[in-house]
Amino acid sequence: MSVHLLGIRHHGPGSARHVLEALQNLRPDVILVEGPPEGEAILKWVGDQEMKPPVALLAYVPDNPKQSVFYPFAEFSPEWQAIVYGLKNKIPVRFIDMPLIHKLVEVHAEESPENATPDIGMADEVADFIPVTKNPLSHLAEIAGFDDQEEWWEHHFEIAKQPEDVFASIGEAIGALREGLTENNKVEKIREAFMRRGIRQAEREMYSSITVICGAWHVPALQNMPKQKDDDALLKNLPKTKIETTWIPWTNDRLAFESGYGAGLDSPGWYKHIWNNQNDDGTRWLTYSANVFRSNKIDISSAHIIEAVRLANTLAALRNLSKAGLKELNEATQTVMCMGDDIQMQLIRSELIIGNDMGSVPAGIPQVPLQKDFEQQVKSLRLKVINEEKILNLDLRETSGLQKSILFHRLLILDIKWAKQRYISGKGTFKEEWLLLWYPELSIALLEKAPWGNTVESACNHYLKHISSNCGHLAQITELVSKALPADLHEGVQILLTRMDELAAMTSDIAMLMDAFIPLTEVSRYGNVRKTDQETIGAILQSIFFRLNAGLPSSCFGIDEEQSVLVADKIKAVNKAILFLEDEMMKNAWLETLATVLKQKNVVPLVHGTCCKLLYDSKVIGTEETALKFSRALSGGNDPSYSALWIEGFLKDAATVLVFDHEIWEILNNWLSEVSAEVFLEVVPLLRRTFAAYTPSEKNSIAQKVKQAPTLGRSFTQKDEVDVARAEMVLPVLEKILGF
Amino acid sequence: MENNVLRQAAEQQFKQEIEELKKEDKHVKPVNWQLSPHAVIDYLMGKKLGNGFEVTPKYIGNRRLMEIAVATLTTDRALLLYGLPGTAKSWVSEHITAAITGDSNLVIQGTAGTSEEAVRYGWNYAMLLSAGPVKEAIVETPVMRAMKEGKIVRIEELTRIAADVQDSLITILSEKMLPIPELNTQVQAVQGFNVIATANNRDKGVNELSSALKRRFNTVILPVPTSIEEEVNIVEQRVASFSMSINLPVQKSITEEIRRIVTIFRELRNGVSLDGKTKLKSPSGTLSTAEAISVMNNGLALAYHFGDGSLKADDIASGIIGSVIKDPVQDKIVMQEYMETVLKQKDGWKDIYRACRDIV
Repeated sequence: MSVHLLGIRHHGPGSARHVLEALQNLRPDVILVEGPPEGEAILKWVGDQEMKPPVALLAYVPDNPKQSVFYPFAEFSPEWQAIVYGLKNKIPVRFIDMPLIHKLVEVHAEESPENATPDIGMADEVADFIPVTKNPLSHLAEIAGFDDQEEWWEHHFEIAKQPEDVFASIGEAIGALREGLTENNKVEKIREAFMRRGIRQAEREMYSSITVICGAWHVPALQNMPKQKDDDALLKNLPKTKIETTWIPWTNDRLAFESGYGAGLDSPGWYKHIWNNQNDDGTRWLTYSANVFRSNKIDISSAHIIEAVRLANTLAALRNLSKAGLKELNEATQTVMCMGDDIQMQLIRSELIIGNDMGSVPAGIPQVPLQKDFEQQVKSLRLKVINEEKILNLDLRETSGLQKSILFHRLLILDIKWAKQRYISGKGTFKEEWLLLWYPELSIALLEKAPWGNTVESACNHYLKHISSNCGHLAQITELVSKALPADLHEGVQILLTRMDELAAMTSDIAMLMDAFIPLTEVSRYGNVRKTDQETIGAILQSIFFRLNAGLPSSCFGIDEEQSVLVADKIKAVNKAILFLEDEMMKNAWLETLATVLKQKNVVPLVHGTCCKLLYDSKVIGTEETALKFSRALSGGNDPSYSALWIEGFLKDAATVLVFDHEIWEILNNWLSEVSAEVFLEVVPLLRRTFAAYTPSEKNSIAQKVKQAPTLGRSFTQKDEVDVARAEMVLPVLEKILGF
Repeated sequence: MENNVLRQAAEQQFKQEIEELKKEDKHVKPVNWQLSPHAVIDYLMGKKLGNGFEVTPKYIGNRRLMEIAVATLTTDRALLLYGLPGTAKSWVSEHITAAITGDSNLVIQGTAGTSEEAVRYGWNYAMLLSAGPVKEAIVETPVMRAMKEGKIVRIEELTRIAADVQDSLITILSEKMLPIPELNTQVQAVQGFNVIATANNRDKGVNELSSALKRRFNTVILPVPTSIEEEVNIVEQRVASFSMSINLPVQKSITEEIRRIVTIFRELRNGVSLDGKTKLKSPSGTLSTAEAISVMNNGLALAYHFGDGSLKADDIASGIIGSVIKDPVQDKIVMQEYMETVLKQKDGWKDIYRACRDIV
């Protein structure tokens, strides 16, 4: 009877290769793998034709799917290879880690789902569970002169083709390390006790050759078996909960560090490459890199590849490495192919180093938590999932109405178009009307979103995070915010707002900033969001506002007519929004900006006219000054089209103002009375352009006003005295005609 | 006499360091190199030698970059050091050359007027007229000399040289020979010959390298200092040495002011506030460490000659504004946004905010 301990690095392709070699030599009759025993039941799926890694074994508490653990597997994961080997050769495979029925209880007690999700159990444990601030492996790496322990491990145990007794030396190294550490992490002790129990169990069942595949860190603890009694004492009376397991498809980018559920794997694409191309000296990798560049329209010749290979290998030699690792290859790529620029390296990073592999799982695998959560919510809200159109009217003042509306909005964010909102008018903001129609494709859509989270809410949040980070347009983010707010996604809104702030800083398009500003003011005014959201929104509102103020005066030049119509409309909308905000400080700053625009020369006429009107409305400039601006804009020296656009900016949509605001009327009237006949003929078409847009009834009331108040204007034209002397001159003729 | 020289060549100034490194050097040296690649890197990054001798660091920054640069030269590829003005490109190129060949004086300063004769070879016209095209009538350039002696030639500001002149380097770099058609002969480069060029990636109106030439270079981009501590450190040292050379008394600690300038420069350059909370636009200027040094020097001179001798926010504000606002329209927006969204919020920075506001 023999027990072989194979200490591995989770997701290390080198480890996977060594494990396979060892298994072929040892020919064990049972394989024990560090993993949750609950997963054993679904191990049979691993051999399925349709099962393609990366996949993750998902374990969750059925009543509360937020409590869950993912065990991601890639093709190059040693555990995966061991399981596949076992299934192929009909050798029993067992998981011997701490059962999740106990482990997830612990998480449960903490009541923090945020902590639960990233705990993927298998990968980070060396870093996670060790009660020292510094990763102990880094001591070994430091001695060997490496910057970080990952790199050290990679060069010693992954890339290099070590002899099989590598496992023995790993055991010794870790043993030496652990001797010097005081270990007081209880969970860790319990886990190792469970693993030992698993080994004892296998021994008791008279297996003659037992192979254990576990994280290198655990090897010493499994080598030196303490008394069984001590372990049993440790494992007594552990709390329990109910657990369900299933397989879900996983992706490379979720194996990587960057995402929320990271498996602690920085470069899954690279690992896959060295798993598949053990003997590559960098040539193949760099050729792939060149192809990525070429498909992105960056010219790379074969000569580049040759030089990059040479540089990578020289660098490796300079650093006393036996083989070029990812860092050397990256540096060579950047130096030779990218002109030293790291922007293009992002391509390599996302397409090769991380890679866009997406796994798949066979149909018929048990349901995923997102589905369960969805069905549970549908049930509790008394909705029916049927393939029939149904119209639903919701009153958001009622809890159930609000809950339903939130669910519908969330589903829309996940692109699950079960409910469509219909426009209803005149019923106030608390009414919503939805059209419901379920069709089978929606189930697939739901399944597709399963990896984003276990509940509809968390899936939405993660999905929003994903799309917002890929989104470079302020307008899109603004749209997402307006989608996310009614969906009551606290976390998602925060992420979007942060992104919005980032993009607002980058953009120089003032129209976009204004677009983002307006919906934000509405939100901050109505206050239908939580207090923390409110604060963030306030801060971002301020920062966008400042950017707006700084940028507006200089973006009113040299834009074409179409654009200036847009800008003018937006300025009006922003003005309205700011007046509604009732923030004195912001209002003053805004009016100051408008005044700056007004003072500048060469501002496009439409915008200039608009600003003039707005400032007049706010009483920043008085009647006299307005009249002055008005007549200057419409004076003969200007290009007729300039005047036309200016007056359009000033008087557009302002028919009622014209009728009721006596002063504006006066300004216009005075100007009209003072222009000479020739000039008037010239500007008539221009004026028509603005006035033609008024509705007939508006035009009527203007005409009425002209009629009713003849004295207003006439008084100016009839100022001149009658020339009595001249008038008397006709009298003799008249007398003659009339025969006096 | 040596003491009167304003600035000594690197191999002179650090002669002893190179000698000590030579003694300790046990690695393989490429042909015509006086130090092994390992020792060259030690020379650049600094090291305490076995006999206790301390080699000072010449480049403060990422070691890996220097490794790439030196590895490039061992693969007999030409090296292009690229980066913003003020990121120590010429400095690095001089020291690498000094360490490898012990002769950093083979330099061509690239300008718009650099002609092909300055790169390849020229003629001594008097001799050309009297003796006809003979070898002796050829005026050698640094490039030709480096090829003959197996040394490294440095080309400063490569992108300032006209494109057609740049391209005359292609044959030299790919075939390692320089044809002289007039004599029906050529100069073959001796092993050890190489080219280190520098260029900056911010200037407008430069001549982009042709892709044929680009392909002959390995490019290393020298970045601006990574951490604020590192940058404050560099500025502090340089300001101190400046004050010493023109006899400006630095009466009290100016580290706080340096930190403020470096903070403003870094925030604007990186487009994000130091606390990471606010995204910012970046101005069109580079805001390099070298500029931070000159703002500081300027401020000190202002304070000393026109003020009461103590450094005030007003003294540095004009320097800061001058460095940031290079484009009167765009950069002004950038600065205003920055002042309102970041500068104004900082505790204890009101003086600098006001001083800047008065100017903009």
